[in-house]
Amino acid sequence: MTDLTATGLVAAAAGGDEAAWAELVRRYTPLVVSVIRAHGMSRADAADINQTVWLRLVERLDQVRDPQALAAWLATTARRECYRLSRLGRRSQPVDPYDDALDARHGPLVDAAAPDEALLRAERRQALREGFAQLPPRCQELLALLTADPPVSYREIGERLGMPVGSIGPTQARCLHRLRNCPALAPFLGARRGPNKNGGDRDGAVAAGR
Amino acid sequence: MAPWPPGDDDALTVELGAALWDAGPVPEEFLTAARAAFAWRTVDAELAVAELTFDSACDAEPAGLTRSGGAARTLSFRSGAVVLEIEVSDAGIVGQLSPPRGGRVTARTATGPYDEAPVDEVGFFSLGAPPAGPVRLSARADGYAVATDWVSLS
Repeated sequence: MTDLTATGLVAAAAGGDEAAWAELVRRYTPLVVSVIRAHGMSRADAADINQTVWLRLVERLDQVRDPQALAAWLATTARRECYRLSRLGRRSQPVDPYDDALDARHGPLVDAAAPDEALLRAERRQALREGFAQLPPRCQELLALLTADPPVSYREIGERLGMPVGSIGPTQARCLHRLRNCPALAPFLGARRGPNKNGGDRDGAVAAGR
Repeated sequence: MAPWPPGDDDALTVELGAALWDAGPVPEEFLTAARAAFAWRTVDAELAVAELTFDSACDAEPAGLTRSGGAARTLSFRSGAVVLEIEVSDAGIVGQLSPPRGGRVTARTATGPYDEAPVDEVGFFSLGAPPAGPVRLSARADGYAVATDWVSLS
């Protein structure tokens, strides 16, 4: 398993590489779960839908024509199965601690009222996770530290990465610039890709202003 | 709608943080089940997949089709010329395989077979009530062998 792109992982898994499959599972289960959550399914239904999605993918591994579209296929399949099970109206579990925890985190009504919006958010987050996975390790380390909760101070980040505090901002800007331009985010860019070539300058200006 | 991804570095960093850390906890059992699905890669590899083409639970009834009525859920699967139709109720599954060429039908959950039955001369078969979770039927008849898409039946 040397090719860690979605394309490489799908090809390796289709050839029987279980580690590649495990990596696909690790990378994409959050997307499948977030789509299921957006539909407010009970935990039992959620588990069945998740299992169904992965069982279906197993037998389509060698037919996935465009592995970069894998995220969209997973999201669509999960959404369809949510619809199927919600129509069956089975096994409602009004007091499920799992659902309570979800409600506290995501707010149940917002997602239930606007499934499309929730789906779009889930797809964007998946695109960011994929883009992040394609960044150089140095960028991944820095961005992970910058987004950590609880926050890590610039001084500590500098120490951990052996980087002067003054170069953290500019490096962050360069890494975000790469993230914006990575293939995983390309499907979302459409409207704002134009003659504007000032992205790099703008990033530099933002970094300088830190 | 606002352009996305955000041009502002701080906003993008916040969104990236949410994507990386706030996906919410993925229950371990979900990951386990997803990883385990890989074991099915070779099990039915020689069978053609019969895709789910109709489910009365969520699809509109095809025009001109007359069903037996009642509360039973009906599903159709197709692989080329082979069609497998089932009716699911609390009592179990009754189904018809066409073209009728005898053979056997096996019903499985992700943990293994739960029932099997012979197919009669006009293609009919019956199976026990399906357990919870995704189920797949595989049919081996004279001249063809198919396995349905995984789908929750109960």
